Amino acid sequence: MEQVEADGLRKTYGETVALDGVSLSVDEGEVFALVGPNGAGKTTLVRCLTGTARPTEGEAHLLGSPPEDTDESRVAVLPQEFSPPERLTPDELVGYYGSLYPDEETRDPDALVDEMGLSEARDTRYDDLSGGQKSRLKVAVSLVNDPDVLFLDEPTTGIDPEGREDVWGVVERLAAEGTTVFLTTHYMREVERLADRVALISDGNLIEVGETDAVIREHAGNPRLVVRTVGPAEEAAETVSSDGVGARAEGDELVFDGVDVDGIGGTLDALDAAAVEYDEVRWREPGLEEAYLRLTGER
Amino acid sequence: MKTSRIRGEASAEWRSFLRKPAAVFFTFVFPAILVALFAAVVGAGGGFFEEPQGYYFAGYLAFVVLLTPLSRLSSTVARGRDNRRFEKLATTPLTRVEWLAAHVAVNGVLILAASVLITVLLVTLGGASLSLTPVSVVVTSVAVVVASAGFCGVGALIGRAVSSQDGAIAVSNGVGFPMLFLSDTFVSPDVLGAGAPVVELLPLTYFSRAVRGATFVEGGFAVPLAALVVFSAFFFAAGAYALPWQE
Repeated sequence: MEQVEADGLRKTYGETVALDGVSLSVDEGEVFALVGPNGAGKTTLVRCLTGTARPTEGEAHLLGSPPEDTDESRVAVLPQEFSPPERLTPDELVGYYGSLYPDEETRDPDALVDEMGLSEARDTRYDDLSGGQKSRLKVAVSLVNDPDVLFLDEPTTGIDPEGREDVWGVVERLAAEGTTVFLTTHYMREVERLADRVALISDGNLIEVGETDAVIREHAGNPRLVVRTVGPAEEAAETVSSDGVGARAEGDELVFDGVDVDGIGGTLDALDAAAVEYDEVRWREPGLEEAYLRLTGER
Repeated sequence: MKTSRIRGEASAEWRSFLRKPAAVFFTFVFPAILVALFAAVVGAGGGFFEEPQGYYFAGYLAFVVLLTPLSRLSSTVARGRDNRRFEKLATTPLTRVEWLAAHVAVNGVLILAASVLITVLLVTLGGASLSLTPVSVVVTSVAVVVASAGFCGVGALIGRAVSSQDGAIAVSNGVGFPMLFLSDTFVSPDVLGAGAPVVELLPLTYFSRAVRGATFVEGGFAVPLAALVVFSAFFFAAGAYALPWQE
């Protein structure tokens, strides 16, 4: 069943078009990522989908209803740059947000604090927590109503790698439990690791929607092996090409397109056989970032 | 309206308040300083302050009833918007009316406590003669809570209209201090000349008249109290509507 739907959503602020006819749907239990740079329209889309902004045109549905009519107990939102009351402790904050929902629909605050790895900080004020602890606590207060659908709007922006890893772990656990997660981010690695499907947004338009692996496969280009030669690269390119290995010279480097991880050894053997000397080897498998840049025409 | 949600919001706000030493200081110590200063001026006689100490009791209460909710609510709303707290709350079952009711409850308790402090100081140190009967105490308490609700609404309106916390406090003071002295509190409307009609348009006027009617000039509190209820209901509703639940 589709849990989140947007149909032709358009949102303007005066002359500025924040969303320009966005349509998408998210299925139950899916981790769906919306990726784009700052100002692409990610937060505006989340707001339209959750009812905190009204679209200028188009319709949104959340759990089958317009967002303003949706049962709030089944949905949770972690807004971008959200900061809870800073003088309260994790126990108090989870209890506070829990008190806003019917008792029978809330999770045990103590257990949630423990589950988020905040047991030792449960009496520490929010202001005094580390970046990672703050991030986990913000996710915790968004889980207190045990939502069916969770919106996370850039939950890892501005936090350190440890905190980011913590949040990723929580999202993976939620996904395993069947929670539908709508995640916005501009970290491509986050999407590659977490998302079942991804939508790429630029200037208020969705430019691609699909399974994360498929989008990368289709749009990111081939893996590439780059070898820095000791001698002239052009000469080396001619030598190895005459041996049937496709290569081109770029400055003092040889570039082999389409070499996957299993082909690295064979390519280097071919270089050795052709007596090409080299002092550096790099291999890169293109990811979502390349796909995004190609789709937006920036590469 | 769900009382459990109001209680939850009020409890969080109450805890936050108690952990801000500056807020506690300005809520209780500042009015005490004001009472001490004015009591000395009034005690000396002359100038604008020719009435007995008890006459100005309504003015002292008006000070906390007006400025505490204006500055606290306006800055709370501005901060909550900056920190995306309203965006979060808007996606919970909590309603705008419940949020404002919770903050009225917290501010009402604070202002009632500050009012008790002012009363004790004025009677014991200032030697004021007040009529403190059960009726006058109840009427004064009701006026304090009702006015607090209205000025919490005004504070929410200011917080919604300005773009920063600093701006919210500046606007609150810009609105509050003129209103304080134009509301039949310390200065009689008779001496305001052309500005006198403005007095009748200000909700604080009806607060000070209701309190003065109950505690100093016995019996004349019903009409101003009713007017205060109307004003406060309007500003509470407007303030709740103005909360930034949506863009």
